[in-house]
Amino acid sequence: MAANAIDQTRRMLSLVTYLRERPGAHVADVARAFGITEDELISDLDVLPMCGTSFRGGDLLDIDTDGERIWWRNPDASGESTAEPLRLAADEATALLVAARAVATLPGLRESDRDALLRATAKLEAAAGEAAGASSRLSVTFESEGGVFADVDRAIAERRRLWLRYYSPARDELTEREVDPIRLFAVGHTYMEGWCHLSEARRTFRLDRVAEIRLLDERAEPPAIEPRDLSEGLVQPSAEDPEVVVEVGPGGRWVAEYYPHDSAEELADGGLRITLRTPDPGSLRRLALRLGREGRIVAPAELADSARSAAREALAGYGEQV
Amino acid sequence: MAIAKAERLMNLALCLLGTRRPLSKRELRGSIEAYMEAGNDESFNRMFERDKDDLRELGLVIETVENLEGETGYLARRDSNRLPPVSLDAEEAAALGLAAKVWQQARLAGAASGALQKLRAGGMPEADNPYEGQSSAIEPRIPVHEAAFEPLMLACRDRRPVVFDYRKSTAARPETRQVEPWALECWRGHWYLAGFDRDRGAERVFRLSRITGKVRSRAAKYTAEVPDVVTVRETVASWAGESADRSALIRLRAGAGYPLRAKATAVREGADGWDELEIPYGHGLDAWLVEFGPDVVVVGPADLRADVVDRLRAVAGA
Repeated sequence: MAANAIDQTRRMLSLVTYLRERPGAHVADVARAFGITEDELISDLDVLPMCGTSFRGGDLLDIDTDGERIWWRNPDASGESTAEPLRLAADEATALLVAARAVATLPGLRESDRDALLRATAKLEAAAGEAAGASSRLSVTFESEGGVFADVDRAIAERRRLWLRYYSPARDELTEREVDPIRLFAVGHTYMEGWCHLSEARRTFRLDRVAEIRLLDERAEPPAIEPRDLSEGLVQPSAEDPEVVVEVGPGGRWVAEYYPHDSAEELADGGLRITLRTPDPGSLRRLALRLGREGRIVAPAELADSARSAAREALAGYGEQV
Repeated sequence: MAIAKAERLMNLALCLLGTRRPLSKRELRGSIEAYMEAGNDESFNRMFERDKDDLRELGLVIETVENLEGETGYLARRDSNRLPPVSLDAEEAAALGLAAKVWQQARLAGAASGALQKLRAGGMPEADNPYEGQSSAIEPRIPVHEAAFEPLMLACRDRRPVVFDYRKSTAARPETRQVEPWALECWRGHWYLAGFDRDRGAERVFRLSRITGKVRSRAAKYTAEVPDVVTVRETVASWAGESADRSALIRLRAGAGYPLRAKATAVREGADGWDELEIPYGHGLDAWLVEFGPDVVVVGPADLRADVVDRLRAVAGA
C-alpha cells in the first residue's frame, strides 16, 4: 500500500537515520517506534535498497531484512547526510503543535499530563524555529465539562460504576441510570462511552447533558466490546430505521448540516428536501417545532400531526385559539 | 514497471543531501534511474519540478545555485536541513504521542506522524502505550469533514487570497466571495475561517460547511493587514446567541426543560405545577423555546413572546 508517496518518503528518511544507530534492530520494535504496521515497514525496506547517492558511482543503501531483524551493511554509503533527522516542515510543526495546544486546554486533563504537554510544546516550538510560525493560523478548542469529566476519568482509572442523571433532548426528560464507563473522547463536545445498565446496551453520553454524577462502589465490568470507530461520525442510523422526510426553505438549510441524512435534494426556492433515518421519529418533534415557517415534516404523517397538536396546545397557553 | 514515486523522491533527497557542491539537472538525470527512464526532456522537467516541490513540502530546504558556466545547480545543505537537538523525556514523548493521534484529516495526520518519526530518529524515548498507566483516559479527536479545509489551510499557511462560493445560513443562493484568509478555528466540532472579505472591505467569519464547490487560490498579495490576534470564537459565539444582553421571564412546566433550568439565572418554583425562570435572552432564544412546545410559556419581554407565538402559529396552522 503506497498510499501516499510523500508520507512514505518522509518516513523512509527518518527510518534510515534511526536504523543507522541500531544494527540488527527488530522489525516489531521499529514498526512500533514509527507507529506503522510491520507490513508497512517491510514495504519501506523493499524500496530502500533501490535508493542511494548513485551519482557517486553506484552507492545504493545495503539494507537487508530476514523479516525479523534489519541490518544496514554500508551505513557510510550515504555519507553524513542521514546521520541526523531532518528539520520539521511547516505542516509537521503545525499538525503537532496545534494538536498539543488543543489537548492542553482540555479542562479534565490530569495536571501532570498537561505539564508534560506544555513542556514538550515549548521544546518543539524552539526546535521547529520558523516552521512553527504558521501553526498560529490554526486552532482548536475542545468543549469540556470539567467537573463531570474528572469524575468519569476517575471512574475509568479505578474501574468503578457510575450513577448518572442524564438528559435526553429527544424526550425532554432526565433519566437515572447506572453506567460502566469504557472511555472518554472529545469530538467537538466531550463524550463518555459506556455500558448502560438501564438499556442493557452500549451508549454514548454527552458530558454537558449529565445533570448529576456519582461514583459508586460497585466494580465496573463492561462486556468486552470493540470501541466505536470515531472516524465514522457519532450518529450512525441503520438502514432499518424509519424514514423521515423534511422540506425546508432557504432559512432551514442548517438542518442538513446538523442531521446526518441519506439525501438532500435542492428545491426550486433555494430550499432542500431532506431524507433521513432515525430509530424514533417522535424524537424529531423538537425539530418540527423549531423549524416554524422555515420548513415542514412531509413524512411520516404522525410526526407532522404531533408537532401540529403540540403547537396548538402551546398557543392555548397564550390564550390563542387555532 | 514504472519506478515508484517514493523511490524516486527518496533518491533525489539522498542525492541533494549527500552532495557538497550543487548538482545540475543533467547530473541528477544521469544518476537517478527513474529520471533516466523519464522519456523526453519535457516530461523529465515536469517530473523534476514536481519532485522538488514535494520534497520542499516535507521540509527539505533546497538551494538553487548558478555555477560559473551559467548552469543551475541544486543542493540541500546539511546545516539548513537538520533538526536541532530536542531532548524530550518519556512523559513528554507520551504526551506528544497522544496529541499526534487527534487529527482525523489525512494530510495533518500524516504530517503529525512524520513529525513524531523525525523526533524518534532524533532519539525521542519510546513511550509506553499512552492509554495505559497513569495517563488521562481522554481520547480527543479533531474532526475535519469539510472539503474546503485543506485548500484553506494551505492558503492560510502560504498567505494566498482565495475565491469560493458561500451560502449564508438563510440565503437561497450561494454568492462568490473573495477573501484573504487569516486563520482557521475549530469550535464545537465545526471549522470556521476568519479573513478579510475584499468585496465588503471588512473582516468576516465563514463556516466551512457552507462553502459550496471548490476553493480556488490566487497568486496575489494581501491588501489588508493581518491582525496579530484573530478571534473567531467570539464572533461565532454571538451567532449562537451566547452574548445575551437581556433577560427573559418564562413559565416552565415542573420537571420539564432541564437545559433551560441549567441556563437560568433564577428559578422560582410555583404551586400550580409551573416554575418561573429568568434566562439570558440572546439571538435564537425564540427558536429554542418553541422546541419545548406546550411546556413553555413566555411571560416577557413582549417581542420575544410575539416571536414565539408567531413561530407556533406557523407550525399549528400548517
